Amino acid sequence: MQATDLDSIVIGGGFYGCSLASYLARTEGEQVAVLEASDELLQRASYVNQARVHHGYHYPRSLLTGLRSSLNFSRFIADHPGCIVDSFDHYYAIARRGSKVTAAQFARFCERIGAPLEAAPPEVARLFDPQRIERVFRVTEYALDARPLREQQRGALSRAGVSLSLGSPVRRLRAVAGGVEVSLSSVDGERTIRAARVFSCVYSRTNRLLAESGIAPIPLKHEVTEIALLEVPPPFDRMGVTVMCGPFFSCMPFPPLGAHSLTHVRYTPHAEWLDRADAPPPDPYALLDRFERRSRYAPMLRDAIRYLPGLAECRYAGSLWEIKTVLPRSEVDDSRPILFRRDYGMPRLSCLIGAKLDCIYDVIDEVRADPARQTA
Amino acid sequence: MKPAAADLFVSVVAPLHDDGDIVDAFVDETMRMLSEGYTNYELVLVDDGSRDDTVERASAQLRRYSCIRLIRLSRRFGQETAISAGLDSVIGDYVAVVLPDSDPPGLVPALVERSRSGTGIVFGIRRNRRGEPLWLRFGAGLFYGICNRLLGFQLPRNSTHFRVLSRQALNAVVQVKDRTRYLRTLSAYVGYGNQGFEYDPVTRRQPPRHKSVVESITLAINIVVANSTRPLRLVTWLAMLISGLYLLYMGYIVLIYLLKPRVAEGWVTLSLQSAVAFFFLFLILTVLSEYLGRLLGEVKEGPLYYVLEERNSSVLIADEERRNVVGHSVESDR
Repeated sequence: MQATDLDSIVIGGGFYGCSLASYLARTEGEQVAVLEASDELLQRASYVNQARVHHGYHYPRSLLTGLRSSLNFSRFIADHPGCIVDSFDHYYAIARRGSKVTAAQFARFCERIGAPLEAAPPEVARLFDPQRIERVFRVTEYALDARPLREQQRGALSRAGVSLSLGSPVRRLRAVAGGVEVSLSSVDGERTIRAARVFSCVYSRTNRLLAESGIAPIPLKHEVTEIALLEVPPPFDRMGVTVMCGPFFSCMPFPPLGAHSLTHVRYTPHAEWLDRADAPPPDPYALLDRFERRSRYAPMLRDAIRYLPGLAECRYAGSLWEIKTVLPRSEVDDSRPILFRRDYGMPRLSCLIGAKLDCIYDVIDEVRADPARQTA
Repeated sequence: MKPAAADLFVSVVAPLHDDGDIVDAFVDETMRMLSEGYTNYELVLVDDGSRDDTVERASAQLRRYSCIRLIRLSRRFGQETAISAGLDSVIGDYVAVVLPDSDPPGLVPALVERSRSGTGIVFGIRRNRRGEPLWLRFGAGLFYGICNRLLGFQLPRNSTHFRVLSRQALNAVVQVKDRTRYLRTLSAYVGYGNQGFEYDPVTRRQPPRHKSVVESITLAINIVVANSTRPLRLVTWLAMLISGLYLLYMGYIVLIYLLKPRVAEGWVTLSLQSAVAFFFLFLILTVLSEYLGRLLGEVKEGPLYYVLEERNSSVLIADEERRNVVGHSVESDR
């Protein structure tokens, strides 16, 4: 182990990167460094795409995803006090037309995964257009505030003794004896660090890093997404609403900005592309910066008003734009698997791409089961 | 709440069935009209189980223009149901129904303006039926005459599907639960200040497609049965009349039997009465079966139509990435 400076390097200071680094340092007693390209932790997908603490309700057509999500829910809540916003009621409404599940199927699904479900009170059910909504349920699902979560992660890193380098984009990786060499840019020019293991938690830019390191890209799908922010009138300000299960929408509190977010299956993804093995992958963030941001809040809101006429009184307060990266195969069956590739492209390099935040427990289980570590 | 013109969201619904030859020209013309006239708009194409290259051609247009949606029905449900599927899905403040082979999209902005200024529904009336076969013109005249005079429901002469509905009127139309739907009579039924406008239909296809005699008569019967119970009432009157006559006839027979010692002959009366009886019997059966069929149709549960898939526009995002960017094809899941 003389050749390496550290036990593990985690590339990417999002939620997954931070949680994984804290785990490695605290529980496994490793010497760990986190390298983050931007000037702050939890800036991108962890901040924008993850305002919902999933309880499984979202996946009525994938029992396994629903079940795992339901199991992780209470654990996630307990592990992240102060980041959970539960000061609102969350309702799931099943559409009459175009929904892939019926209200009865949804109720049965929730029963099977053990997620609590009750009929919405009449004064709430009345807010929905009965022509378009079959039934409304009250669910136990919360919103996440990314700001305290960021502070919590920062605190956890420092308590665990993880060395954190912000503003340090990683250029490329190279296999060396006994580990991986990481080249990164920093204020004092390019430098290299070696570690016995490297974890890539860079999400959208995974394939850029792999391509720079001469490794074949992973087939990934990227979407340019728009989340509209709304100031909603009472009683919607104390409500989160999700219409299931098809080309519908969700309107729920977005705690970091004190507004409601409106996302629509049809209008939120503006463009998408696939990373292919035979062409250099484009830089998603550069593409996002160049993207002509013509907001689609108007169609999102118009469709939402058809189901919830009272939303007509809300005010548009801007949009958040971000890249969402998914595994192409999850398109088919509604599941949201995480990607974990051990020894991808070179020995001791693990690539992981998350989906929902609570899947972090599955990631840590995977890392714990590393056969290389156990034999070493 | 009436939105300002700039804030107006206009939807266009167009049903497609085996329209591969005209869909490109139609989409080009409609999108030009929409993008010049409005900032917020959508074109919803509903494919009614086409068997030609309509879906392929429409999908190619989704990559050229943004703000188009293609809803594919799982099989052929008929033009009226296809329009209903589109109306269920549009999100606009005003929605125009445009038939690709005969309606000029260029008129939509003027119709939207008329709909905004007071009346909820503005419907098209074709100025002429030129180019239609003689029997169709004559039959149409007869049909409108019967509907308006005898059957007592208002179906404006030569009205077409081409129309603009306000959100309020559209919500009313969508709520009518009839399974056999005729947009023309539905929008007359909901009211909202129906207002006609005359226009010259275009012929985007040469030669234009016409309905066959059987299709036209079927359509006429369906519209009558869906909108009027007068034929059934007529049957009631007829049945009462005949049974009355038969009652008299029975009295007559009894009288003959009692008063005349020897009864013979009577071939004429016998055959005449059975002929009359059978004529009315079958006439009554015809009308009853028609209404019975309708009753069965309305009682049937389940969705009016099934959607196979929905596709959205995905214009490529940047030239240099073009080879890497794929179309936003099938609606993903929530």
